Amino acid sequence: MELKQEALAGTLESSDLFIRVSPSEDPLEIAIESEVIHQFGEQIRATVEEVLAHLGVTRGVIVIQDKGALDCTIRARLQAAVMRAAGETKMDWEALK
Amino acid sequence: MAEDLEFYTVDPDDEDVERRDIKKLLTECGLLYEIGIEAFVVCRDGEKLVACAGLQQNVIKDVAILPDYRGGALSLTLVSEVTYLAHSRGYSTLYVYTEPKNAEFFRGCGFYDLVEMPDTVVLMENTPIGIKSYCKQLQKHRVEGAKIGCVVANANPFTYGHRYLIEQAAKECDWLHLFMVKEDVSLFTYQDRYYLAEENIQGIPNLTLHAGSQYMVSRATFSCYFLKDQGIVGKCHTAVDLLMFRNHIAPALGITHRFVGTEPFCATTNKYNNDMMVWLQDPVRGAGPALDVVEIPRTEYGGTAISASEVRRHLRSGDLDRIRNLVPPATYELLKTKYVPLVQAGA
Repeated sequence: MELKQEALAGTLESSDLFIRVSPSEDPLEIAIESEVIHQFGEQIRATVEEVLAHLGVTRGVIVIQDKGALDCTIRARLQAAVMRAAGETKMDWEALK
Repeated sequence: MAEDLEFYTVDPDDEDVERRDIKKLLTECGLLYEIGIEAFVVCRDGEKLVACAGLQQNVIKDVAILPDYRGGALSLTLVSEVTYLAHSRGYSTLYVYTEPKNAEFFRGCGFYDLVEMPDTVVLMENTPIGIKSYCKQLQKHRVEGAKIGCVVANANPFTYGHRYLIEQAAKECDWLHLFMVKEDVSLFTYQDRYYLAEENIQGIPNLTLHAGSQYMVSRATFSCYFLKDQGIVGKCHTAVDLLMFRNHIAPALGITHRFVGTEPFCATTNKYNNDMMVWLQDPVRGAGPALDVVEIPRTEYGGTAISASEVRRHLRSGDLDRIRNLVPPATYELLKTKYVPLVQAGA
């Protein structure tokens, strides 16, 4: 999927995360800030990269502010953000696995 | 408690009751109600207004939360809401000015420090890579040399005065970087100002013309500059703009000197020039290396310093003949063909 416009998903509330994705000419850049970065930083990043790979996103800027979201929340929010940015409305349920 | 909280958006110019309550809340929190805020996200607990956050284009202002409601989920919802509001209005990267003691709160909401004026104010943006990737782009235009100069110009419009300043600066330097102010609030559009700069710098070999950005002389870094015509100077944080330049932009391009024309007319610009001497030159003020500020006396025509504001005055009174002596041919042509009809249609 190609990111065509900037999009947001999520909130800054506890157990959620706030995601901002923007188009870019450059390869993917992912910035993650999390209250649990020391315990789960790598796991969060792995989840994010996996979802992006599955959705075929290869360019763009992904900025994440995590407030201790569960893995499933991260997947759902990220997919929502990417779909909004791509102008896509058909849900890819596989990406949420 | 949380069940009763209601968040919604208000237009302070249209809704008197809301505006009154917002003003009261801000006063209780020791803040001033700022003119020009286009929308507020407010939070009510039942009848009571307990929090607000204002938005002026891409700058978040007047964030206040009653003490009893601080430190919890409310604040995070407030910032999420104002971010969505900004997004729906087409603003992605957001800026906030806050006292250093409140910076930690915004750090927890996804804001990152851009620059701090010690004990006074911190400017933050809601992305960790904005300024970083901007500086990376700038670095591609880096030219090595002992004396690398910079001019930042609004050029509203480009006059013989600008040409003279840029020529003199370029002569004194190994290389000169010219930035055009990007903010589109002047009489002349950014596109036209940039085009005129392009036309009018021809023949200067050691110069790079750069597009402007939100990181220099913008609403985010220097909001009062764009209010100067209304005579609203207020608390003007020129230091924020200057420290952004010193700490981020100058190091990316290896800039050692900043050139500026003397300012005999405009109080805001004059203050900016004077503040340059402090915030750019003083060795201990900034994180970036100190720069030299070089003030070049304005070039004159008929005994008076040439200024863009004078050109705008003549334009309004339709006095093209007097403009001809003050601006290069490219500017004159554009004025005649586009802006004279525009001004006449407006008047």
